[in-house]
Amino acid sequence: MHIPDNYLSPATCGTLVTAMVPIWTVAVLKVKVQLKRQRETLPMLGIAASLAFLIMMFNLPIPGGTTAHAVGGTLLAVLIGPWAACLALTVTLFLQALLFGDGGILAFGANALNMAVIMPFVGYACYRLGQKWHHPKVGLAIGAYLGINTAALVAGIELGLQPLIAHTASGAPLYCPYGLNIAVPAMLGAHLLVAGWVEVGFTLLVYQFVQKVAPTSLYQTAPKTSQRRWLGLLLGLAILTPLGLLASNTAWGEWGPSELKHLLAQQHLAAQVPQGMAHGFHFQALFSDYAIAGLPVSLGYILSALTAIVIFGLLIRGLQHDPQPKN
Amino acid sequence: MALIDLTDLSYDYPNTCGLASLSLTINPGEFVCLMGPNGSGKSTLLRLLSGLATATQGTYHFNQQLVDSGYLADAVKRQQLHQQIGMVFQNTDVQLFNPTVAEEVAFGPQQLGLSPSEVTKRINDCLALTRSADLRDRVPYQLSGGEKKRVALASVLALNPQVLLLDEPLNGLTIAAQQQMLTLLQQLQAAGKTIIMASHNFQQVQPVGQRFLIFNADHQVTADVTASELATLPDLQAQLMTL
Amino acid sequence: MIPNPKTELPNWLQRPTPPTKIRRRYSRQFLAHNQRRLRHLLRRLAQPAPVVTSNWHLSAQAKLLRLGLMLGLIASVQSPSWLWLLGLMLGIQLMLLPPRQLRYFGRHWLLDCLVAGLVVLPSYWLAGPTTVLFFGLKTSLMLAQALHFRLTTPFAAILTGLKAWHCPNVIIMTLAIAMIYLRMLGQYLLQTTEAMDLRLVAPARHPYHLIGALFGNLYLKSYTYALELYAAMEARGFNGQYVKATATNRWRDYLAVSPSLLLMGLWLFGGHYFGIN
Repeated sequence: MHIPDNYLSPATCGTLVTAMVPIWTVAVLKVKVQLKRQRETLPMLGIAASLAFLIMMFNLPIPGGTTAHAVGGTLLAVLIGPWAACLALTVTLFLQALLFGDGGILAFGANALNMAVIMPFVGYACYRLGQKWHHPKVGLAIGAYLGINTAALVAGIELGLQPLIAHTASGAPLYCPYGLNIAVPAMLGAHLLVAGWVEVGFTLLVYQFVQKVAPTSLYQTAPKTSQRRWLGLLLGLAILTPLGLLASNTAWGEWGPSELKHLLAQQHLAAQVPQGMAHGFHFQALFSDYAIAGLPVSLGYILSALTAIVIFGLLIRGLQHDPQPKN
Repeated sequence: MALIDLTDLSYDYPNTCGLASLSLTINPGEFVCLMGPNGSGKSTLLRLLSGLATATQGTYHFNQQLVDSGYLADAVKRQQLHQQIGMVFQNTDVQLFNPTVAEEVAFGPQQLGLSPSEVTKRINDCLALTRSADLRDRVPYQLSGGEKKRVALASVLALNPQVLLLDEPLNGLTIAAQQQMLTLLQQLQAAGKTIIMASHNFQQVQPVGQRFLIFNADHQVTADVTASELATLPDLQAQLMTL
Repeated sequence: MIPNPKTELPNWLQRPTPPTKIRRRYSRQFLAHNQRRLRHLLRRLAQPAPVVTSNWHLSAQAKLLRLGLMLGLIASVQSPSWLWLLGLMLGIQLMLLPPRQLRYFGRHWLLDCLVAGLVVLPSYWLAGPTTVLFFGLKTSLMLAQALHFRLTTPFAAILTGLKAWHCPNVIIMTLAIAMIYLRMLGQYLLQTTEAMDLRLVAPARHPYHLIGALFGNLYLKSYTYALELYAAMEARGFNGQYVKATATNRWRDYLAVSPSLLLMGLWLFGGHYFGIN
């Protein structure tokens, strides 16, 4: 399910990283609360990240002779808590992208959203529901299955949207060449039929083992739960993200004043003529239908970059250790 | 007829040598102690003998059969080898993976397809032999270091292997437990089992060992002597005392 | 064999067990397969791909910035001449690699490209040859850029680089712990699969039960590690500081990053001011 680089347009990558920033911030805050109850959570984050790495690299046999691997998002959420799992899986994905070439570096935000947010939270929500109705294992099984399939569905949508939002004037896709009609069934089919069941089997068996051997080392929810509010926010974000992708496309079209449009379209054409070869691939050609080129795109990129920097700056400020008063 | 026959066996780790050119024969029923400092190649030899690794150079024959990567790639042959050779790891943590001690010991016999009553008998016998009957329903993960060693030995014994490989089996045991384990090993040897044990504590193994292979820091075997020969070599004894 | 009268061993232990008949089944091979993968991972972690120590030593923060800029550029540009230019820049970077490294790079890069190519091949019939070609070119350039980064940057340097970019200590520490324990847990997992292998004297009836036990144990082990690590951290007076950013040769960094910065600027403003986009 790791989306490699060049399958998502830079705009999508940027949007998804920006969408992840508030989630990571909330996760850090929630984990800080968890730290007060269970102090070993801090090193556990790193260790759980390596555990997740090993889970993802371990090939499980499936009847028929082939293999698949589990992701373990739901399992980790149940073992160490959903917010800690979110951070641990983020670290795993970061390591995989930067050091092992597994999943794209630019697509990190997308992968993090799918595997570090959607999967553990959907899975955990189902598990909690199951627990409430006194069938935690049923909840866990459903959670593992729904978690991985929701993540696959979102990954499929992210990929399948690309031909719609980034294509040349002639309609040739610039990034992922497969539309929604192919990307979604391909991603979902494989997960609904095979990977989902592998995930269910794996999650249940490990959970069963841990519950039998050391039930106290499972994640205990805080006595005062305000979980639902956060889950609501999160689900809202998850729903909004793909909408944001679509919306960003139309928003571009409304910005430029018509004189500028005209001027730039002319200039754009002038630049285009000598490069006969480049004709079919011109990025501005994408927006030329809306008669916007050059400046707004550049400005837009700079603005988004600045926004990301400001948000990151704020996040970093918020995370820094406060100076300890010297005794 | 030699049970284990090694000719010019070497093993290299990616950056370092693990074992340098070793030739050796071991007969059925021998009690061999591998002595040497840490990292001298004792564990590497045990890994090669158990079939967990294959030699970089040289040959290894077990029961007249050549054990090489081709042999080990065959699942059936590999399993037959594992039926005859049991190993207790240095880090017994990794060896205990079942939810309870009883299930741990039952794991091997169940694979063999024995009847439930036979499996229960083996569990009872092995736990009694290793003096761990009281641990029966405990979780292996929560046992102490010494208890883990005893359970690991019980779980290997339950398969009734012909050869027992033990990597530092006495570490973490109390003096009394060490004595009990050595007595048990002597009994097993008397019953015809071949025992190959790695240790760096000469005082512990001197009373039971019948043959001593001494490794140096360069992963070579510098001496291969019987217990009676060793008794006439005070220099070597003194050297072993300081390992 | 004559049973020794002195022993108190049970009868079954004094007789050799006759070898059991073993049926061939697929389920056991997965352990051997995973052991190979784990060994490969551990080898890589033990000696990360030989890092180039050319005299043109760059700080990790500069490398990270360059990687980000180049990847962003390759992803954004849509004209072959731009790609050509970027490919040229990458080629110059690669020229600084020693020959052995370059061969290593070549092998891995070709393999990566092949895999990426296979995935995108079906779109040939959907979108036509130019799309596939262009997509393939861009993907291979991005793969090359990322591989070059991995080849020339050791993990510890990434941590210092992140630190220099003011990444929060919590994240840097978590990354460092994850890398260290990846090795330890990997080793543990490998040894457990080996121990399992030694006692799997017949095909496992329920391979998934084994996997449950394998990873259940691994989780419990990691939990123990976490408790120990926390105790050790506290005992050593952990104060939240993990890595110190090292002073580096600044002008070299600027010089190395400037071409990608220049290109980025050119791409962003070129169309407007020079009409070359």
